[in-house]
Amino acid sequence: MSSSSGPVARLEGVRLDYRHRDGWLRVLQDVSLDISPGEVVGLVGESGCGKSTLSGLLLGYRHPSARVTNGRAMFEGTDLLKLDRETLDRIRGRRVALIPQNPTTSLNPSMRVGDQIAEVLRFHGVTPSGPATTKRVHEVLESVSLADPSRTARRFPHQLSGGQQQRVTIAMALACNPSLLVLDEPTTGLDVTTQDQILRLLANLRALHGMAMLYVTHDLGVVAQIADRVCVMYAGHVVETASKTVVFDRPRHPYTQGLIASIPRIAEGGARTGLPLKGLLRRSELPRGCPFFPRCDFSRPSCGDTPQRLETIGDEHQVACQRWKDINPDVDSTRVPPQVRPESGPNETLLSLEHVSLRYGRRGPFDKLLGVSAPTVVHDVSLTIGRGEVFALVGESGSGKSTIANAISGLLAPFTGQLRFCDDVLPGTVEERSANLKRRIQYIFQNPDASLNPRARVRSSLARPITKFLSVASSEVGARIATALGEVRIPENYAVRYPDQLSGGERQRVALARALIARPDLLLCDEVLSSLDVSVQASILGLLEALKHDTAVTMLFISHDLAVVRSLADRVAVLFQGHLCEVGDKNLVFAPPFHPYTHSLLQAVPDFGKRARSIDAPEVGASPQAGAACAFVGRCPWQLGNRCVEEPPPWRTSRAGLRIRCHHEPKDLERLANGE
Amino acid sequence: MTTRASLGVVSFSRADVVRFWRQAPASFRIGTAVLAFHIAVAITGPLWAPYGQADLFVGPALAAPGWSHPFGTDVLGRDVFSRVVHGAHLVIVLSVLGTLIGVVVGTTIGLLSAYLRGWFDTLVMRLIETLISIPYLVLALLAVAAAGPEYAGDPVLLVLVVGFVFSPRVARMARAAGLDVVTRDFVTIARLRGESPWSVVVRELLPNATGTLLVEFALRTGYAPVLIGTLGFLGFGLRPPSPEWGLMISEYRNLLLASPFVVLMPGLMLASLIIGLNMWTEGLARILGRSVRYDE
Amino acid sequence: MKLASLLLTRIALAAVTLLLVSVFTFAAVEIIPGDMATRYLGQEATPQAVAVLKKRMGLDRPAPDRYLEWIRGFVVGDFGVSLASERPVSEVLGPKIRNTAILAVSAFILYLPLTLIPAAFAAVNRDRAADHLLTSLNLLAVSIPPFLLATLLLVVFVVVLPWFPAISAVTEETSSWDLVQLLVLPTATLAISMAAYTMRMLRDNLIEILDADFVRMAELKGMSRQRVLWRHALPNALGPSLNITALNVAFLVSGVVVVEKVFAYPGFGRQMVDALLIEDQPVVQATVLLASGVYIAANLLADLGQILLNPRLREG
Repeated sequence: MSSSSGPVARLEGVRLDYRHRDGWLRVLQDVSLDISPGEVVGLVGESGCGKSTLSGLLLGYRHPSARVTNGRAMFEGTDLLKLDRETLDRIRGRRVALIPQNPTTSLNPSMRVGDQIAEVLRFHGVTPSGPATTKRVHEVLESVSLADPSRTARRFPHQLSGGQQQRVTIAMALACNPSLLVLDEPTTGLDVTTQDQILRLLANLRALHGMAMLYVTHDLGVVAQIADRVCVMYAGHVVETASKTVVFDRPRHPYTQGLIASIPRIAEGGARTGLPLKGLLRRSELPRGCPFFPRCDFSRPSCGDTPQRLETIGDEHQVACQRWKDINPDVDSTRVPPQVRPESGPNETLLSLEHVSLRYGRRGPFDKLLGVSAPTVVHDVSLTIGRGEVFALVGESGSGKSTIANAISGLLAPFTGQLRFCDDVLPGTVEERSANLKRRIQYIFQNPDASLNPRARVRSSLARPITKFLSVASSEVGARIATALGEVRIPENYAVRYPDQLSGGERQRVALARALIARPDLLLCDEVLSSLDVSVQASILGLLEALKHDTAVTMLFISHDLAVVRSLADRVAVLFQGHLCEVGDKNLVFAPPFHPYTHSLLQAVPDFGKRARSIDAPEVGASPQAGAACAFVGRCPWQLGNRCVEEPPPWRTSRAGLRIRCHHEPKDLERLANGE
Repeated sequence: MTTRASLGVVSFSRADVVRFWRQAPASFRIGTAVLAFHIAVAITGPLWAPYGQADLFVGPALAAPGWSHPFGTDVLGRDVFSRVVHGAHLVIVLSVLGTLIGVVVGTTIGLLSAYLRGWFDTLVMRLIETLISIPYLVLALLAVAAAGPEYAGDPVLLVLVVGFVFSPRVARMARAAGLDVVTRDFVTIARLRGESPWSVVVRELLPNATGTLLVEFALRTGYAPVLIGTLGFLGFGLRPPSPEWGLMISEYRNLLLASPFVVLMPGLMLASLIIGLNMWTEGLARILGRSVRYDE
Repeated sequence: MKLASLLLTRIALAAVTLLLVSVFTFAAVEIIPGDMATRYLGQEATPQAVAVLKKRMGLDRPAPDRYLEWIRGFVVGDFGVSLASERPVSEVLGPKIRNTAILAVSAFILYLPLTLIPAAFAAVNRDRAADHLLTSLNLLAVSIPPFLLATLLLVVFVVVLPWFPAISAVTEETSSWDLVQLLVLPTATLAISMAAYTMRMLRDNLIEILDADFVRMAELKGMSRQRVLWRHALPNALGPSLNITALNVAFLVSGVVVVEKVFAYPGFGRQMVDALLIEDQPVVQATVLLASGVYIAANLLADLGQILLNPRLREG
C-alpha cells in the first residue's frame, strides 16, 4: 500500500514520441501530474491532445510504436515504465484498473461476462476458491447496480445494453479493490440518461471505497460533475491544473477559457461567450514555444518561441502561460445571449407529418415462416414545421429521430400515414419525387468524414448539384461555387482541395455549402455537430445561427444535445423510442411543465452551470416496460399506477400552448417538476 | 493556387518519382525490377532470340546446355532458350488480357449489385455464388471443353476463359468494396440528388474502390499465369508447338531423366514472373494502405 | 427462433446453389458442339446407327426432361452410364473417389500444422525478423504453381535422389507400405500448396484479433501473455479461420486434378480430366457436380460452425 502522505500515482516530466512516417512525433511534452489517494482528477482536452496516451502510462502501457525518452510513471512508489511484463501483470487489474472508452469492443465477445470478471479475481489470487470467486463476482455486479447478478454473470456482452456493458467493465475494475481507477472517456458513447446513471454510480462507489480516479474526457460538463481537480491538456502539454472550482470560476489559461466559452449552457438559454476558440489544433504546425500560440487571442510574438512552463500562481493552481496576469479570469462576463430572430408573424406550414409510422423492411425468407417481423421504429407521429423556422427533434439514440429524417428525405417510405410539403402530398421515396422537390429538400449528415466523396475535389462536389438542379451557364458555375464557399466562410482557393486536406469542421462547412447551393426550402441537419470537437462545434453553430438570421431556409435540426438545441431552435419536439412526447416553442419546452421524459433528460445533462448535484437521487428503472400503453412506463418517475400501462396517454395543451402527451395535467406536471 | 492546394495534384516531376521509389516498400522495388526484366524479355525477346519458337533441328536432339544452346535442345532439336524467350510475351499478354476482362466485367457487376441491392443483387449474388462453387480449375476445364474442339488451343479462348473464371471472384470482391462505400453519406446524398445508378457507380463508388481493385487486379494477374500454365500442362491450353511455359513443362516432363534443365528453365521463368507479380502486389497494397486478400 | 431461421437460411441457400450448379453443369455439357451420339460413333457412322444410339441414350427427348431425369437419378445414386467404358458411372468413380479421399485426407492432416504453426508464430512476432522471414518464404511458396512444385519434387526425389517411385499406381493389391510410399510426394505437394495459400490469411486474421480492444483490455487487467493469447485471442480467431479452411477445400479439389495427373495417381481428378478429354459426358457431369458439392458442403459446414461458435449469432 502507498503511504498516506504521498500521491498514489505521479507522472514526472514524461516525454513520449510516436513513430511517424519520417521520424518521431512528440505526443507528450514533459508532462507531470499527481494523483493523491482518494482524489478524482479530471483530464480534459480536445481529441488528439494526448490524454489517452497519458492515461495508458498509468497502467504501464505504451503503444508498440511509442517511445518514452524522458520521465517516470510512478505508481505506489515504483516506476511502471521500468517493470517487466510479469511484474506489471501483478499490478494491472489489481492495484490500478482501467475502465475503457468502448465497452462493446473491450469485452471479449465469446466469453460470458461473469467469467471475464472471475478470471481477474483468480489470476490475481484475490479469492481463495471457486465458490468464493463466484460470490465475489456476484457481489461486484451487485455493487454496480446490475439487477439479478447471477443471471447477468451468465450473459455474453452482446446480450447487454451499452450502459450495462459499461457497468460490467466497472465491476471488473473494482473486483480487486484497486487504489487507482483510470477511466478513459467511459461515457462517451452513451446516452445522456445512461451517462448520468454511470456518473452517479461512480460517485457512489468512490464515496464507498475511496479509490483515486483519473477521469479522462473531452466533456467539461462531466468533469464538473465528478472531479475534485482538473488538469487541462493541449497538444501534449499540461496547460493548467487547479481545483474544479478554480478552473471553472477563474480559468487563467486562454485555452481553458476558450474551451469553457465554446460550450453553450443549457441553464442560460443556450448562451455562449463572445470568446470561443478559434482555429484548430494542427500537430504538424506547432510552434517551438507555446503550442497554443497560433490560436491565442492574448499572444505576443515572444510566445511562439518561448516554451511555457507550468507556474504555480495560487493555491494548487498552476498555469503554463507567461501572460496569465493579463488575462481576465471572469469568463462569464463575456457571455452573450443567442441572437433572437425578428418575429415573422404567423408561419405558413412548409412540411407536415400526418400520423406517420415507420419501419425498416427487409426480411429473410424464413422470418415470415417463423413469425419474425420488422419492428415499428416510429409510431404515429404528427408534426408541422412552419416556413422559416428552426425545428429541433430531440431524443436519445434509438428514438427514431434519424428515421424521421430519412422519411422526409425520401430514403424510407412511410409505413402508414403521409407527409405533406407545401400542402402537396410528398411521394414516399426519392425516386418518385420530381427534380425540383429533390432540390427543395437538402440533407447534411453527422459524420464529416463520410459526407464528402474522398476522391472528389471540393469543386466537383459542389458543381454536381448546380448542374443537376439549376440551369446555370457552365461559365458561371465557378462563380457560384466561390459564392457558396464564401457563405460558409471557406476560402475560395479550397475549391481544388480533396476532403483529406480539410479539417473535420471545414468538411462539415463544405457539406453545408453543397446543401445550400441548391437553394433549398428545407435543410435537414442530422446530428451535424456531434462528432466535432467543442471549439469546432461552436464555430459551426455560429454559422448556422447566422444562416438562420440571414436566410429564409427552414431547418429540421436533429440532435441529442439539449444545450445546442436550446441555443439554435425555435420549436422543439421530444421523441422517446419512436413516440412523440412533447412539442412546442423552445422556451416552453425548456421550462416547466415538462413531459416526464423531457424532465429526466434535462436532469441528466452534465452542465457545469449546475455543478454539485445530489448523488443520491433515486435510480429510475433502466428499461421501459414492453407492451405498455405509454412507452415511458418503467422509466417514468411520476407514473400513475396501472392507468399508464393500460390507457394510451392523451395529448394535452398547456395554457402557454405547449403540447404534452401524458396522463398528468400540465399544471400537475409543473408542480412535479418544481419538486412540490 | 496556393502551395497547399497543389498537394492534391498528381505531378510526375523526376524528384517526385525518385522520392516515391525511395519510400516504396522493398517488396515493391524488387517486384518492379523482376517485372521489368520479364517485360523487357517479352518485348525485345523476339528480336534477339537465336532461333524461332518452333524451328526444328537447329541443333542435335537433346543437346546438353552449352554455348550454342544455353538451355540445351529438346527431342526435336529445338533450342529451349529461344523457346523460353518467345514464351515470355505469350504468357504476359494472355495473363494481362484475361485478367483485364475479368476485372472489368467483375467490377461492373459487383459495384452495380452493391448499389442497386434488391432483386438484382440477390440474383447476381446467387449466380456468383454458383460459379464460385465450382472449383476454378474445374470451371476452366469445363469452359474449354464446352467451347468444343474447334476452338481448342485458341489464344482468344484462353483469354476469355481466364476472364470468365476471374469475373465472379472479382465481382464478389468489388461488391464487398462497393458495400463499404455505399453506406457512406456522400452516396446517400448522390441518391437524394437523383443521380442514376450508373452515375453513382462511376462517380462515387468506382473512385473509392480503385485501391482495392488495383490490388485485386495485380493479385489476379499473378494467378493468371498459373491458370494458363495449368491448363497448358493438362492439355487444355495452347497447343504445341506453342512455347507457353506450362505446356513446355508438360511436354518436356518425360525428358526429366535425360535432361532436367529443359524442364527447370521454363519453370524458373514462370516462378520468377509470379514471384515478381506477387511482390509487386504486396508492395502496391502496402503503398495503398490495403491488405492483400488471397483467394482461390 | 432467430438461430433456427439463420441456420435454415444457410442450408436452403446451399441447396439452391447446388441446384444451380447442376443446371449450369448440365447446360455446359449440353452446349459442347456436336451431339454425343455422332461423336461417339465417329464421323463415318450411318444416320440410322446414330439415331438408334440417340434413342438408346435418350437424346431424342427435350433437354429439360433429360435434366430432370439426370438429377432424379443423381439423388438416388444413379449417375448414368459411362460412354467410354459402358459401365455405370458410380462403378467407374467408386474406387477413384476412395483413392482421392485417401490422398485428400492425408494432405489435409499434413496441411494443418504446416499452416497453423507458422501463421501463429508470424502473428505473435509481427513485424519482427521471424515474421518477415516466414512471410517471404510464404510468398515464394505461393509463387510456385502446384504443377511446377509437383514436377520439381519429382526431379529431386525421383530423379536426383531415387527415394520414391515416380508413378503412383494404386490397385487392390497395393500393400499399405507401398501405398504410404506412393502417397508421400502427392500429399506433400498438396499440403505445401495449400499451406502457402492460407498461412498469410491466417496470420492477417490473427493479427486483426490481436489488435482488438478486448485483447488490449485483457492485457491491461493483468492477464499473462499466454492467457491473453490462448483464452482471449485464439477462440475469437477460430470462426473466421473456418471459412479460410473451407476455401482450401476448393483449392484441394483443383490441386487434386493437377497432382494426380503429374504422379499418374488413379483418382477422381484424373478421371475428370480424362473424361473431359474424351468427352464422356455422364462422367463429366457427375465429377463436376460432386466436386462442387464437396466445396459447397465444406462452406456450409464452415458457416454453420461459425454461427455456432459465435455467441452473438447463437444466442440472439
